[in-house]
Amino acid sequence: MRMFFIVAMFLLGALTAGPARAHAFLDHATPLVGSTVRTAPPEVSLTFTQNLEPAFSSVQVTDASGARVDQGKAQISGNTMRVGIKSLSPGTYRVRWHALSVDTHSTEGSFSFTVGGS
Amino acid sequence: MLRLPRCLRAFAPSLLLVLLSFSGADAHCFVGPRFFPATLVIDDPCVADEMSLPTVAWSRTGDIPPVSELDISAEFDKRITEDLGFGISDVWTQLRSPGGTMQQGLGNLETTLQYQLLKTPSSETAMLLGLIVDWGGTGNSSVGIATPYSTLTPTYYFGQGLGRLPDELGFARPLAITGQVGYQIPTTSYIVSQNTFVPQVLVYGASVQYSMPYLKSEVKDLQLPDFFNHLIPLVEAQLFTPIANNVGNPSTTTGTINPGVIYVGSVYQVGLEAIIPVNGASGSGVGVLGQLHLYLDDMFPTTLGQPLIGGSFSPSTKPTS
Repeated sequence: MRMFFIVAMFLLGALTAGPARAHAFLDHATPLVGSTVRTAPPEVSLTFTQNLEPAFSSVQVTDASGARVDQGKAQISGNTMRVGIKSLSPGTYRVRWHALSVDTHSTEGSFSFTVGGS
Repeated sequence: MLRLPRCLRAFAPSLLLVLLSFSGADAHCFVGPRFFPATLVIDDPCVADEMSLPTVAWSRTGDIPPVSELDISAEFDKRITEDLGFGISDVWTQLRSPGGTMQQGLGNLETTLQYQLLKTPSSETAMLLGLIVDWGGTGNSSVGIATPYSTLTPTYYFGQGLGRLPDELGFARPLAITGQVGYQIPTTSYIVSQNTFVPQVLVYGASVQYSMPYLKSEVKDLQLPDFFNHLIPLVEAQLFTPIANNVGNPSTTTGTINPGVIYVGSVYQVGLEAIIPVNGASGSGVGVLGQLHLYLDDMFPTTLGQPLIGGSFSPSTKPTS
């Protein structure tokens, strides 16, 4: 039984010590997910856990009425995706992203952030 | 100087390797932004390429006096197509009575064929149909570890994320519910040698999960230490209720409730749960269950992680989920 656990734990360690190839998930964003910022940000920046395929990854930012407020095609480099933002009025905005990792796994998500207010 | 308990010293170095190897990201049964982890007792609602190696459970049975039971199992699941999957598993069981007598052996081989009914990203909904076959006589039936007869269990699985809740209930959005309902049909209704009827059994269960990764990426980034952003606390339950052909047997529903937590890594997950019997017939005292689960589609994206039919590895083709 002791040998069993030794083998099992080494297997787990070996799996995690190697380079990770997996789905690309949102590691962090600027503005932060669910945050309130005092001034309108010039861009939305998303950092993922894996490198992205630029041709198949995208991000959109919309206002409360669903109108797009981003400046078009995102800039994607490695595991980071950036999109410029038009001048934003106080309010809540939604970021919708779709990512394809370099090993072809697809992920998607969305979050909101608020400009102005307390 | 702190000395580790003897039972931990044997694998302390490998445990250290694990702790230093934590990395980011999640994987596998995805429905839109929702990730349904492979739960330890019931199945998740997706076909996938994955492996549980091993699942280890210890508990005490409902016998009088209780018997100590250790189960070590392994499971391998493979997609045949994007929507059709196949699984195979087996368990090694050791029963140790208070008097010291011990019985051990392999259970029957179990196979599962599953078909993905739907995955709806916008509503975070998944549904799956499956047929579980326990192949009688393939395990150690001489000491009662396995049965000489087979059972067939058609099963319905579902998963529902609560991501569509309004913003006023934002902190509830990381919640998800999964479940399964099956009807176990034995290939024999009566065992002559034991003068026993073999019942048909309703097998059902559910899980309630709270996804910290979902909280961070979809609701609010609380800037917690990264370890916590990989956790999915959950409570599972699995119950068995004899429905038919139960003459001479107790009609009691048995099962367990399993609170625990899953840590999700980039190509694996580790789960740990307590096993709490719902009544005396289900067990005695609290047991423990642990599992190492591997995401084969993330470990081997171009080979083992592709469906046998229709799989391809090229960024220019349709992405896989």
